[in-house]
Amino acid sequence: MNTQVVTEELVLETLRQVIDPELGCNIVDLGLIYGTNICGGHVLVTMTLTTPGCPMHESISQGARTALLSIEAVTDAEVEVVWDPPWHPSMMTEEGRMATGVRFS
Amino acid sequence: MEASLPISAVLNRPKQPAAKAPTANAPSIRLPLAFMLMGLAALSIGVGWLIASPPLLVTYHYGQFVIAATHLFVLGWICSIVMGAMYQLVPVALETRLYSERLAQVQFVCHAIGFCGMVWMFKSWNIKQVGHFGSLLALGVVLFVYNIARTLLHAPKWTVTATAIAAALAWLTLTVTMGLFVVAGKCLADSVDAAPAAGPFRDLQHIVEAMGQFIVHFNPIGAMHAHAHLGGIGFFTMLIVGVSYKLIPMFTLSEIQKPVRAALSVALLNLGLGGSFVTILIQSPWKLAFAGLVVIALALYGIELTAILRARKRRTLDWGLKMFLTAVTGFAPLCLLALVLSWPGLPLNALTGRIENLYGFLGLVGVISFALIGMLYKIIPFLVWFGIYSKKVGLAKVPALADLYSERLQIAGYLTFVSGIATTSIAILFANGLTVRIGGFLLAASIATLLLNVMRMLAHFFRPHIEPFAAALS
Repeated sequence: MNTQVVTEELVLETLRQVIDPELGCNIVDLGLIYGTNICGGHVLVTMTLTTPGCPMHESISQGARTALLSIEAVTDAEVEVVWDPPWHPSMMTEEGRMATGVRFS
Repeated sequence: MEASLPISAVLNRPKQPAAKAPTANAPSIRLPLAFMLMGLAALSIGVGWLIASPPLLVTYHYGQFVIAATHLFVLGWICSIVMGAMYQLVPVALETRLYSERLAQVQFVCHAIGFCGMVWMFKSWNIKQVGHFGSLLALGVVLFVYNIARTLLHAPKWTVTATAIAAALAWLTLTVTMGLFVVAGKCLADSVDAAPAAGPFRDLQHIVEAMGQFIVHFNPIGAMHAHAHLGGIGFFTMLIVGVSYKLIPMFTLSEIQKPVRAALSVALLNLGLGGSFVTILIQSPWKLAFAGLVVIALALYGIELTAILRARKRRTLDWGLKMFLTAVTGFAPLCLLALVLSWPGLPLNALTGRIENLYGFLGLVGVISFALIGMLYKIIPFLVWFGIYSKKVGLAKVPALADLYSERLQIAGYLTFVSGIATTSIAILFANGLTVRIGGFLLAASIATLLLNVMRMLAHFFRPHIEPFAAALS
């Protein structure tokens, strides 16, 4: 029987395995994850991309879903891409800014 | 923002259509890759030809070998890359779907046979056969223009990039039509002699004759220069300007700073080119005024691009972008040469001929080719990555785009290309064949680095670099 509990920390740690290949940084440190909703084995992640029309749109959002489904206790995962609010570098973590050389001011 | 909804509410609500992923609209990566490999093959042959025959750049350009080499370069290298990139990027950049991949495949065949035949026939100066192969190439261009135009019509929003792409398609159509007119004019006597008495080709023959009758009223050098400017400014420069307004903000995490300035640069480029085309064709002194308009358009482009870069959030520029930006800086000396060559009453002497050669070389190689090489370092890694790794994201550790090629080779390619352009430019100005050859070797070395990097990227199709997450974390 599966006793693993899905937590936000586990979800975010898993999503760190998904990178934006253009920037070479994971989507959590890039600040692309706007929210997570966890209901038992169901996970909904709301995220954005650095720019609308991003050529990596499908790869990244589908990759995030695939990563979530790799968590043993997750039975269903949904990734919703939204553009409001638009992404801004201030949403990045310090690690993300260091890795990509992105600044904000 | 919907993230605040409880998960149960989200899971139970009627399914909304998700934001459409742009890459879902892009064609198979085989199509753009095929265009690009064809382009790289043509580039390699073209540079080899220059090394073998330096007089190509130190003799007057109205000759069969120079025209053949120019068409190899323009159609084989530049057009192939641009067309392949457009099939991939236009649907992605404009968030719409390519109208027909099948039409694009047919166009690839028409383009490949058409340009190879044209170059061969220009080289042997068989103008009638140039016309036949050119017609096949033109058929491909019609399919290309139709395909991209139908794609544009489905773009959800109209932007300055879409305007520039639409204008570029119109100028490309006019370029090819003008080229066929020029060939028809040269074939006129031949076509009248060989005209069939009756049959389905009789009407076509009349059309060709009418085209030829029209074009022979103009000076052949003026017609050739007008044709070259339509392609060089109308198709290639227009695309560089328009696509920059989408891609440079995307790659540097910035945005257009003054949309009106960007739109004005595209509008003036169109206006200036329209006037330049007519005044070059009829050899009017007014061409200086229209060259001035093109210069103003490119100055506005430069100012806007600088503003975009100043506002960028990504501090480091990769070498692909550095190549592109160095290339477009070349618009400055190019504009200066354009103004000199447009000067009314400029004497037609040997020096003017050398300046014309330099102008053509700097435009096609120094600016357009270098910009394309820079963009290739964005496009090919993306195509390879998308083809191999996009389905593995979330399942295993995949490389970033910059991991697919060697940055050292890229830097070496940058330095040798800039040196090659500088050396060859000086050689052209002083009509020195030996120095042209040295410049050709430097350019060849640069292209060798590009080819090595392309091979590195393509090698991922055979040996993907995928690590399981557990191994990656350990």
